[in-house]
Amino acid sequence: MSSSQIQNNIRRLRFDRNEMTQQQLADAVGVSRQTIVAIEKGNYSPSLELAFKIAREFGLKLEEVFSYDEPD
Amino acid sequence: MYYHEKQNYVNIFSGIFITAVFAYIVYHRHITGQIDITGEYKTWGILMLIFVGISIVARIIIQIIFHIINAIVTREEEIPKKDERDKMIGLKAIRNAYYAMSGIMVLTILFLAVGMPVYGVFIAFVISGLVTELVENSSKIYYYRKGS
Repeated sequence: MSSSQIQNNIRRLRFDRNEMTQQQLADAVGVSRQTIVAIEKGNYSPSLELAFKIAREFGLKLEEVFSYDEPD
Repeated sequence: MYYHEKQNYVNIFSGIFITAVFAYIVYHRHITGQIDITGEYKTWGILMLIFVGISIVARIIIQIIFHIINAIVTREEEIPKKDERDKMIGLKAIRNAYYAMSGIMVLTILFLAVGMPVYGVFIAFVISGLVTELVENSSKIYYYRKGS
C-alpha cells in the first residue's frame, strides 16, 4: 500500500519497455534496486533530480511518470 | 539482503562485542586491584582513549572481514554506492541516535543529582556510546525494511 501522496506508473512503464528490470532502471539512473522498489511501492518520494532522471530514461515528461494527489 | 542493511547488523554485533570485551577487561582489572575506576579520573581518561583507539581498529578489521565474506558469498566485490535514499535513511537514523544520546545524558544528570558517584558519568559515556550505536543501526534496519 502506498504511503505517499506522490504516485507513479514506473512499473507499467518498465513493462511497456520490453519488461525492463528494476535493476536495469536503477543502473540507468544511478541508484540501488531497493530505491526503485521503494519508489514503485510509493514508500519513498524521490528527489526532483532523480524523478527527472527516471522520466528522461523513459523519454517522458515528469508529470507523465509522477503525479501528486492532493490530501483530503 | 541489501549490502548497507547487512552492514548495520555487523555494526550492531561489533558495537556490542567491543563494548562487552572492554567492560569485562576494565571490570576484571578493577576487581583484581590493577586499576581503580572509582577514584582517579586520569584512569578514566586513559581508559577512554584506549577504548576509542581499540574500537576504531577493531571495527576496521571487522568491516574488512565482513566485506571479504560478503564478496565470497554474493560474488559482488564492489561496495554499492550510497544513493539519496541511503543518505536520507542515514540522516533519520542519526536523528534517532541523537535523541537517544540526549536522553541518556539527561538521565545521567538526574542520577548525579540524586547521588550517583561522579565515575558513573564515565560509565554513562560508554553506555551512551553503545546505545546510540544500537539505536542508529536499528533505525537504519527499520527504515530499510519499511522501504522509506
